[in-house]
Parts: sequence; C-alpha cells; structure tokens
Amino acid sequence: MLWLYLHFPHLLLDHIRRSRENQGALVIVEGSGQKVTQACPEARTQGIRTGMRLKTAISLAPDLGMVRADAFQEARILEDQARWLYRYAAHIVLVPPDGMLAEVGSLQKLYGGLPAVWQTVEQGLNERQLNAWIGIGYTPLAARLIARAGKGECTSDKGHIQRALSQMPLLAAELDEKACTRLQRLGLNTLGEVFDLPPNELARRLSPELLAYIQKIQGTRPDPRTPWQPPHSFRQQADFVQEIEHTQGLLFPLQRMLTELEEDLCWRQQDTDSLRLVLKHRHSEPTRMHIRTSGPEHRADNFLNLIRLRLEQHSLQAPVISLMLSVKRFLSREAPSGQDLLGETQDLNEAWHTLISRLQARLGEKALRQLSPQADHRPERAWSASEVLRKTGTPLKPVEELPRRPLWLLKGPQPLTEAPVAWFAGPERISGGWWDGQRVHRDYYIAQLHSGQLAWVFRDAREGWFVHGWFG
Amino acid sequence: MSEILNTLMQDARIWQGHRHVQTTQTAEPTGYQVLDNQLGGLGWPRGALSECLLDAPGIGELHLLLPLMQRVCTEGRTVFWLNPPHTPYAPALAREGVNLDQVVLVQTEDEGDFLWTLENCLRSPVTGLVVAWPGKLASREVRRLQLAAEAGSNVCALFRERRYAEQNSPAALRLELEPDEHQALKVNVLKRRGSWPGQRCSLDMAQRADLSFRETTRIVQGPWSDSTG
Repeated sequence: MLWLYLHFPHLLLDHIRRSRENQGALVIVEGSGQKVTQACPEARTQGIRTGMRLKTAISLAPDLGMVRADAFQEARILEDQARWLYRYAAHIVLVPPDGMLAEVGSLQKLYGGLPAVWQTVEQGLNERQLNAWIGIGYTPLAARLIARAGKGECTSDKGHIQRALSQMPLLAAELDEKACTRLQRLGLNTLGEVFDLPPNELARRLSPELLAYIQKIQGTRPDPRTPWQPPHSFRQQADFVQEIEHTQGLLFPLQRMLTELEEDLCWRQQDTDSLRLVLKHRHSEPTRMHIRTSGPEHRADNFLNLIRLRLEQHSLQAPVISLMLSVKRFLSREAPSGQDLLGETQDLNEAWHTLISRLQARLGEKALRQLSPQADHRPERAWSASEVLRKTGTPLKPVEELPRRPLWLLKGPQPLTEAPVAWFAGPERISGGWWDGQRVHRDYYIAQLHSGQLAWVFRDAREGWFVHGWFG
Repeated sequence: MSEILNTLMQDARIWQGHRHVQTTQTAEPTGYQVLDNQLGGLGWPRGALSECLLDAPGIGELHLLLPLMQRVCTEGRTVFWLNPPHTPYAPALAREGVNLDQVVLVQTEDEGDFLWTLENCLRSPVTGLVVAWPGKLASREVRRLQLAAEAGSNVCALFRERRYAEQNSPAALRLELEPDEHQALKVNVLKRRGSWPGQRCSLDMAQRADLSFRETTRIVQGPWSDSTG
C-alpha cells in the first residue's frame, strides 16, 4: 500500500485567514496564551517567529490579531479537510492534530499515475487556500516522517523513499526523547543507521517498543489504521478574530461556506431545502436561524440571496464571533424532466420555487397563503388558508351546483348600518355548528346598498342585521 | 404668430395628437367585448400597470378581472393577491372556475415590503396576474412599479381609491369604476397609453349574484313535463 500524508503546519491559521477579508498580521498562541505557535506570512515579515513570547510579538506588531489554539476546534477543522479529500480518495485516516493519511496506491490507475494524484491533491489544497506538506511512503509512518521533514517527492520508487528515510536525522524521526538520547550516545545519527542494527539486539539493548516503531516505519510489522467515515450531514464553521458587527461582514465567509456546500451537494448528488445557521456571540445566547427554500436547491447563489434577505430583515443582536452552517436534511435529486403533466417546463417550476422562497425569506412564512374550499355550511368555515405548496394535479372542475357566494368575505360580520335600497334573493337559511359549539343560525339575503354595493347580508337569531360579504 | 407656432412645432417637447404613432403593446383581452372595444380592441396591457379606481368594494370590480384570472390559472401561471382588503372567498372562486392551486395570497406589513413583493412578483416568469391593493402610494412609487412591470410581461391591476383619479400616474391604463343601474359596472377610461381617454361603457355584472337568472331558477322543474306537454 502506498500512503500519502498531508501535514498541515498551520491549519488553524489557514482556516481563520480564509474567513477574513482584510489580511492583517495574525498569530495563533498556545493554550496558556504565552507563546506564539503559528504566524502568518504578514506577521513573519514584521519579525514575528514561532516560539516567540506573545509580549514580544505584540511590541513588534501592535495591531496583531490573536487566536488561542483550541484542540477541539483543531480536530474539527481537520475533519473538514478529510471531507473534501474524501472526494478524491476512499481510504482516509485522520492523524490528529495536524495530519491526514490517504491510501493512494489503489488510485494510481484511476487518475493515471501518481503525478496526477499528487496534482489533484495539490489543486484541492490551493482551492482551499491551505498550506500542507505532502509526503509519500509505503507505510503510514514513513509517509508521515517524510512529509513532516518537508522532503516529500512525487515518486513511488522504493529505493528513493528508503534513501530519504535513511538520511533522516534521528531528531526528526519522532522517537521518544529517552530512546533518541540513548541512540545518539551509541553514535547513531540517522535513521538509516538504526535500520541497519539487528532487530534482536535493538529490542534487547534498547526497548521492544522502539523496535516496534522502527519496524512499523520499515513495514515489517503491521500498522493498522481505522479509516475515516464521512458523516451524514454537512457542517461548516467560520471563526473570526475580530467580532463582526454588521451583517455585511458575514456574507463574505458565508459565500465560501455555501460554495463548499454546493460542491458537497453536487458530490452527493443531493439537494436540500433547509439550512441551519448559528451565529455565536461572546456574551449572549447564540442566534439560530432556519433558512428554508420552498423546493430542493443546491446552488450557493440562491442560498446566499435567501440568507442575505433574512439578515437584512433582522439586524444582529450582538457582535458575532463565529458562524456555523449545517445541513442535516438531504433530498434526493430529481432527474430534470422535460415537461410535467401540466406542460410546465422545469425552468418555470424552478422560477416558482425561487420566487416563493424569496418572498418567504423576506416576509416570513406566514405571509403567504393558499386558499381552498372546505366542506362546511358555515361561511366562515367553508374556506381555509394553508401553506403554499406547488401542486401539479389537475385543477378541480368548477362546481356549478354550489350556491352562489360573494367573492369577498369580510373578516368578521359587520353590522348593517343602513336599510338596503333593494332586496334580491333570500332568505337562505344556514344553520349548523351545534356539534362543535360554534353555532350559526342565520338567514342570508342578497341586497343592494345605497352606494351601489351588492352585499351578502344576514339576520341572526337575535334579529340583528349584518353584512358578511361583497359581490365584488 | 405662425413663426412662434412653427418653432413650437419643431420642439420635441410638443406632442401632437393627430400624428401619434399607434403603439404596439401586447395585451390580454378582458373577456368583456364591450370593454375591449373601448380599449382599442386590446384589453389589459401586459408589462404595464393598470389602475382601477373605485370607492367601495362590491360593485363588480373582481368580476372585471375574473375572465383573465380564469385564463391565467388554466395556463398554469400564478395569480398573486397582494394585501386584499377582505378575504377572497375560496368557494366562490372555485365555483367561478379559478384553480385555487394557482392563487397565492400575500399579506405584507409595511409599504417597503409591499413594493418589494410587487416588484418581485412582476419580474417573475411564473406570474400571470397580480392584483394589489396598495393603499397610499406616492407618484414616485407608482413609477417604480411601472418600471418593474415593464421588466416582466404580466398584467398588474392596482385597486385604489377614487380620489386618486385626480393625481397623475404613470400607469398605462386607468379605469374609474362606478356602480350603474341594474347592478351593472360603469367603466370610465381615464387614461390609456397611446390613445385618447374618455371612453365610457357599462358592463352587465348582474350575473355575479345570479340576479338575471333569479326568476328562472325558481321555476320548479319536474319529471312531468312530457306528459303535460
């Protein structure tokens, strides 16, 4: 098996830098907040080095952006990288905190040789603005050592890899400190010299663990690794150095995240109709948003437009320190059909969903309603309003035998204030609702008012007169 | 004097009535032959605003649009009702043959939302007809809507109060609606793009409450007609 190892020297830094619009100097400081562990190129040009004390760094660059390293966050970011690498390679192993292995031996034929595989991975890294050192080896450990030493070369030649390993200084071989010191005292300086020692002697004089490690590098002892499995949901997070106060500032990182979502959905061959957005604040409860489209969707532009509309409606409660986008609901993608039963083309269907989603995003879901008649004698219950849905059934035939009803129904009956000038039809008695307590007992008439309006009026059981509708 | 007239004639700012070019605008027939004739044989202009100015509901204003609404629904395009003052009564619409699956009711809270929604509906290819009750609208906003309507090719009917008849408006068609005798609807063309206004007609709207057939429906029909006849 041939392994490709990706070593991310400053993954957290890359992750934060790509969500930022202005590229100021930025460093990652260790958990205790004393030392700089990662510095971006801008910071390095100002003289900041890794391992430097934070105080020194701040005096070199007063407007330095600082982020405290967080193991949990780093693990999550690493997993994000596995997600895109999984599109190119099936067998991926995570090596926390900053590495990833991919089995590439089986991919050579697919991609047409190792250089093509290498190029694909490098391109993926560039697209995501990530820095990584790549190494290739016949065992996971060999690939890791070569990558971390920065000696990775695009070759599957065993002799070449062996030579690179042999020339590696012991300090770079990640042996434990005690073993390293003992080997150096024996006068051994490179890994190759350790390889030449007889295994029995190595185990007896030093330790069996060291022998196991050396054999794992050489491949004479099995080194099984658990392959990573992609999760069944999409989750992306952007963390900000400076708090974002305006919604405009959120759109930049969102755009990148949505593009990745689009890629992910395309790759899954699925669509989604609901996005969840969580905005975290420093001192208050996170804001949660649920963005729904009226139909299956995968395009980043459409999602971004909906989110923009939603953000325009609600100003931020508090400055945002991080943004999380997640999708849990996936819908299988339908094959575009030329025409459906009503003779609508796919384009119109899509335009309909786009329009309705836009309206719902800005006005709220309750602002849009569809009407339907209900089987009830009481006028106020003979109709209902429901959520807007795209229906592609055959329309109902007009029901001529239904009684004549006005096109306008008032929201509630209004008292009739004047005597109508003409009476036309009636009475039509509507009596019902004894079964659910909403009793209605009325005599309906059609009458014309002085203003010329044709009204649907009724007299109730208490002899009161009301207008209930207009013949518009 | 003629010299002054001549200079005026050459001025592009003067519009000469007898020389107007017949504009070719697409339109949807209203479904009422009498009204179509008054509107130059065209009907509701597409890609433009139409204003209906009336005092109070219940004079047949919805029936004026009903033939178009029925046609749009059968074609599978959507009818948007924007901020209607009362509830459009679903059983009555269904009885008139309006496919309710194609009818979407939108309620907006403020004026900004209203204009935005109307613009979006007008620009979309799925829309067939928008009927809207805007309430107060500044002339500038009507202009904005007119531009939005031009972007699409849909019919948009705005229902406004009759007092706005005095206010000028960039709408392509303005109709003043009044109740007439025998429950008819009197239509007074206030403005019509590309032609002279001032046409009047009266549309029979008595069928909206089955009044013309009132007597006939009361005749009891029995199975005995053959034997007695």
